[in-house]
Amino acid sequence: MGKKTDKASSNSDLEKYINKRLFDTIPLGIAVIDPDYNLVYANKAFEQLFGSWGNRKCYHVYKSREDMCSYCESAMTLKDGLPRANEEAGYDKNGRHIHYLQHTAPIIDDDGNFPYVIHIFTNITEATQIRDEHEVLFDQVPCNILLIDRNFRIVKANKRLTDWLGDPEGAYCFESLKGLKHKCTECTARQTFADGRIHTGYHVWKSSEGKTLHLHVITIPLKRADGSFDLVMEMAVDVTQTLKLQDGLKFAHRFLETVISTSMDGIFAVNEKGKVTIFNPAARKFFNIKDNQVISREELAGILPKGFLNQVSEGPGHVYLPETEVKTIDGETFPVRLVGNKLQRSDDSPLGMAFSVQDLREIKQLEKEKLEAERLAAVGHTVAGLSHGVKNLITALEGGMYMLNSGLSKGNIERIQKGLEMLMRNIERISIFVKTFLSFSKGREIQAKICDPAAIAKEVVELYEVKADELGIVLTNEKIGDVPPAPIDYESMHECLTNLVGNAIDACQVSNGDSCYVAVRTFEKNGIITYEVSDNGCGMDYEVKKKVFTTFFTTKGLGGSGLGLLMTKKIVQEHGGKIELESKPGQGTTFRIKFPRSRLPKVIEKEA
Amino acid sequence: MNAKKKILIVDDEQDVLAYFEAVFQDSGYDTVLARDGFEGFELAKSEKPDLITLDITMPEQSGIKTYYQFKKHSALKEIPVIIITAADESYKNFLNELNGLSTPEVFFSKPIDPEELLKVVADILFDNNI
Repeated sequence: MGKKTDKASSNSDLEKYINKRLFDTIPLGIAVIDPDYNLVYANKAFEQLFGSWGNRKCYHVYKSREDMCSYCESAMTLKDGLPRANEEAGYDKNGRHIHYLQHTAPIIDDDGNFPYVIHIFTNITEATQIRDEHEVLFDQVPCNILLIDRNFRIVKANKRLTDWLGDPEGAYCFESLKGLKHKCTECTARQTFADGRIHTGYHVWKSSEGKTLHLHVITIPLKRADGSFDLVMEMAVDVTQTLKLQDGLKFAHRFLETVISTSMDGIFAVNEKGKVTIFNPAARKFFNIKDNQVISREELAGILPKGFLNQVSEGPGHVYLPETEVKTIDGETFPVRLVGNKLQRSDDSPLGMAFSVQDLREIKQLEKEKLEAERLAAVGHTVAGLSHGVKNLITALEGGMYMLNSGLSKGNIERIQKGLEMLMRNIERISIFVKTFLSFSKGREIQAKICDPAAIAKEVVELYEVKADELGIVLTNEKIGDVPPAPIDYESMHECLTNLVGNAIDACQVSNGDSCYVAVRTFEKNGIITYEVSDNGCGMDYEVKKKVFTTFFTTKGLGGSGLGLLMTKKIVQEHGGKIELESKPGQGTTFRIKFPRSRLPKVIEKEA
Repeated sequence: MNAKKKILIVDDEQDVLAYFEAVFQDSGYDTVLARDGFEGFELAKSEKPDLITLDITMPEQSGIKTYYQFKKHSALKEIPVIIITAADESYKNFLNELNGLSTPEVFFSKPIDPEELLKVVADILFDNNI
């Protein structure tokens, strides 16, 4: 019995617990309202959720409302006595927004009436929040997500995908994603359905409008607790843009590689650690470096001009040497044009250096050959001119002989006298001619020394000052701007300018104008030293201009040898320069002789 | 050979003028002298010579330009021109290539043989006229 009693008493304890304590210990809020919506009863859990409730209406406590809800399940239950459940949103005792499940059930009395309604609350605020967050994640994650069932129908698709595809729910994935009538041969989802593992693949999707997407796809089984599954989640990352970039990059790389390997110029580069990373075939040929030979930074520094690497890496980014010398790996020097560029990332951090080098050996040789050809042409013209001059002199001498002979045989003293004069005059001409020609043909090697270009012009002008003054010609000398010293053969250049100024003064003498001038100017622009001699004398017509430099051409009768300008041209060419001529009959002449510094002769070392 | 034939000599060299003048006068020709192309053209128009000798390399106006003037002038173009120059054969070729102009009758290179010159002049002046 005792046992029974024990059992009974424990049963009654249990009942007592259920009746008295369970109501308060159950983790669900429970409240009871009367037909006027007054809260008449509530447990602890309810109080913990909604706070105090005595003498308050349910809508006031749950939703902080002053009047009844427009949609009220309690009102319906009070009417029909049916239980109900709904997800609701309201405010907790601290005024925080909460989500809860509300079960509404009638309390039925013995008469079958239902004077009260009981509310049971489950707080799902956190779960709702997590669910919302998942939905945002599902829709907004930067890839396409879809759920596929075992029939390969799309069960769900995220917003990113529906934006692109429209709503594909219920459709076959192969149909709506690829426009196919049958399953794909390579299907990652099928692989996942088959083995329950994660699979990846590369897919191409086509929209109905014909747009193509390239995707990197991963399929994941959505397993239940027991490991079974009927859905696969497919996540597809759009790599269209990436593939395009990759293609572009590949092309750019191949293009660059081709350009570098076939370039006629030497191209080489070092990375930020100083390692030589590029050394193209042309550069290898120039520097005599074998195809498979690796070049160290030290070796590179050794073949380039001294300090050039530092000049590039520490300079503003671009160093251009129009003419410099580098060495082959065997130490042989040769002339090049050299460009160095510092490479930097967009944040200015160093990336290395790139260089391009142009071999000037051939160009130099051509230049030399051209100068030589010009010199030979000048010699050719000289010889042609010489024969012309000699023929004229012989004719004049024969004339003199004829006059002398015929005068003698006729006893004509006047004719004898004239013949003698002709002979003497032309013998004198021969002597002048030969002297000038000798000085021309000797071909004295020019000897360049560093001297002040403007000083030569000044000296020549001073030489002619008295003569110009006597003839009433205004002779001026002007140095415009700065003309630094340069390697010039002083005497040759002096002769050159003497010829030009002398010619200008002669041109003024035979001009009809009253106020004549000769202006000498010396200036330098873009590394080109220029002497300009201009006059407003008689000028030259086309035919004279054409011939001034080429033969023993003279317009001065007996006064000129016809060699002055030819001599001038020779000297100018020997200095790597060129001569320009502007002239108009009756208006004057301007001679300009121009010397690019880069072409000036090398200074002859002083003899000890 | 009743009327004396008149020869215009154009050359910038004074000594050459004197030489040719003596040579032609000794053979019974009248001579007119011009020291450059301008003068030569003016004298040709006023003196109406029977023949002209013309130097090529002259200042002021070259013999080639002067030759053009002669050959384009209606009253002068029939006058035979003998070119006497120290320039080389390339001038002759150049003159031969001139468009629309008759080539010069004779091309003499300096120095000249006076007898040969006189023979050529006589051939032109008398054979042609008969």
